[in-house]
Amino acid sequence: MNLLTVSNLIKRYSRGGKTLAAVDDVSFHVEPGETLALAGPSGSGKSTIARLVLRLIEPDGGRIEFEGDNFLALRGAALRARRARLQMVFQDPLAAFNPRATVARVLDDPLRIHGVASRFERPRRIAALLERVGLAADLAPRAIHEISGGQRQRVAIARAIATKPSLIVLDEAVSALDVSVRGQILNLLLDLQREERIAYLFISHDLGVVRAVAHRVILFDAGRIAENGDARTVIGAPQSAVGQALVAAAPRLHTTTQDAS
Amino acid sequence: MRRLRRFLRTPEAVAGTILLTVLFAMALSASLLFPGDPQAIAGPALLPPFQDWSLPLGTDRLGRDVLAELFHGARTSLAVGLAAAAAALVIGAVVGTLAGFAGGLVDEVLMRITDAFQTVPGFLLALAFVSVVGPSLGVVVVAIALGTWTGPARIARAEVLSIRERDYVAGARVIGMRPLEIAFREVLPNALPPVLAMSSVIVAAAILTEAALSFLGLGDPNRVTWGGMIAEGRAVLRTAPFLSIVPGIALVLTVLGVYLAGEGIVETTAVRRGLS
Ligand SMILES: Nc1ncnc2c1ncn2[C@@H]1O[C@H](COP(=O)(O)OP(=O)(O)OP(=O)(O)O)[C@@H](O)[C@H]1O
Ligand SMILES: [Mg+2]
Repeated sequence: MNLLTVSNLIKRYSRGGKTLAAVDDVSFHVEPGETLALAGPSGSGKSTIARLVLRLIEPDGGRIEFEGDNFLALRGAALRARRARLQMVFQDPLAAFNPRATVARVLDDPLRIHGVASRFERPRRIAALLERVGLAADLAPRAIHEISGGQRQRVAIARAIATKPSLIVLDEAVSALDVSVRGQILNLLLDLQREERIAYLFISHDLGVVRAVAHRVILFDAGRIAENGDARTVIGAPQSAVGQALVAAAPRLHTTTQDAS
Repeated sequence: MRRLRRFLRTPEAVAGTILLTVLFAMALSASLLFPGDPQAIAGPALLPPFQDWSLPLGTDRLGRDVLAELFHGARTSLAVGLAAAAAALVIGAVVGTLAGFAGGLVDEVLMRITDAFQTVPGFLLALAFVSVVGPSLGVVVVAIALGTWTGPARIARAEVLSIRERDYVAGARVIGMRPLEIAFREVLPNALPPVLAMSSVIVAAAILTEAALSFLGLGDPNRVTWGGMIAEGRAVLRTAPFLSIVPGIALVLTVLGVYLAGEGIVETTAVRRGLS
């Protein structure tokens, strides 16, 4: 059974009197434990899809089914409870956290909200989460702005896996990182996927990264699906104009970590 | 520590801090230096200042010790000013945060209420409120807050409107945080700095409003207030002008002190933020 099924999703924005379909009749699915990449030029609607899937904004049409339920029908407390299973990692790890937060608080919040562990047990859980993403447990009391960008993105991943989700949406999650750090974070994501069978909806404009981590890829153009299929096949021989342009624009397609298999 | 040193490098801040320190010292030592009722008769009526060293600033029309009244008045001014400003800031921050964060109908209703309060001059509102409810310290505090919370509310709302679009607010929703917790724990603290930057102006205005209410006889009758002292001295303005001048100067220096110290704080924090 599919983990996530998106059917005929539509989101329109009005701009200067005209309406623009940022997401125009998009359908796709994600299976448990797989990585589906969404790629496409800037403004093609990738982030809008991420926000729709996470119920941060509401669609103008279409269906979203998550873990077998009509996800768009969930409201209030039921929606908040289900959010434990569907997490997100943002592009800019500094903007993604409350500027006043500490590492411990950022990780404590999901554990507390979803009742994952008691107040007394949580510090130990936080330490375990930090270790799980390759950070020292003594980072916990540090302020978010006092740690490096790579460490921050690891904290973001720790926060995302705190409630044992089945799907994590990553919107340009490695784009802001240095190349060396990027490789480490991608490896961490691949490790987590292998061990916890987490599925990723992986948004990136970097086809090199997409080929390294994704099983399948969908290429978007102006809110519509231009092409989709096996990641290496599509990137190796793109059929659509957008796909060819993206491949041509990618600097070197073989500079990232080892391929996912 | 570094911030304190930078703060003390600006001359206005130093002047303001000295004035405020003196004011606080007066307020805190009032009942130590002048125990007993400051409204009790202490000597002959209308004794001019610097004549009798047991009554350095002389006495008023009823023979009350002006210096004792001044000290006890500092207490009232400061207490009312700080309490009213704190109440205005709290109400304003809460209303502004709710309006900005909730948006839609809640925002609409709260902002219409804010408009309504803002169109009535704050002083008239305070005057009307005290006239209806009756003068006491608490009522005066509420009356002043009623006329001043709208400014902080607007600033808080504007700040919240920009903060609520940030990624970390979306992040808080994604982890399933309740809207009220997001509004008050994640958004409000980050919206506070520009609101708090107004506090010196609000405290100064509150102190002046309190004095004006007391001057009109609408202060707490059981408390000595500078406004009340000025009103008292008005009757003998020609023969004993010092009775109005002394509390008048105290009032001016206090407002100046609050304002200067507040500006100093805003400036040093602004510099700090500019650097980082
Ligand atoms: N809140 C909004 N109001 C109006 N238009 C919007 C809004 N959000 C997105 N859009 C528009 O929708 C389209 C898709 O935007 P989106 O952010 O999803 O693109 P993207 O594929 O993520 O681009 P990028 O690669 O630059 O992140 C763009 O034309 C954008 O201008
Ligand atoms: Mg985007």
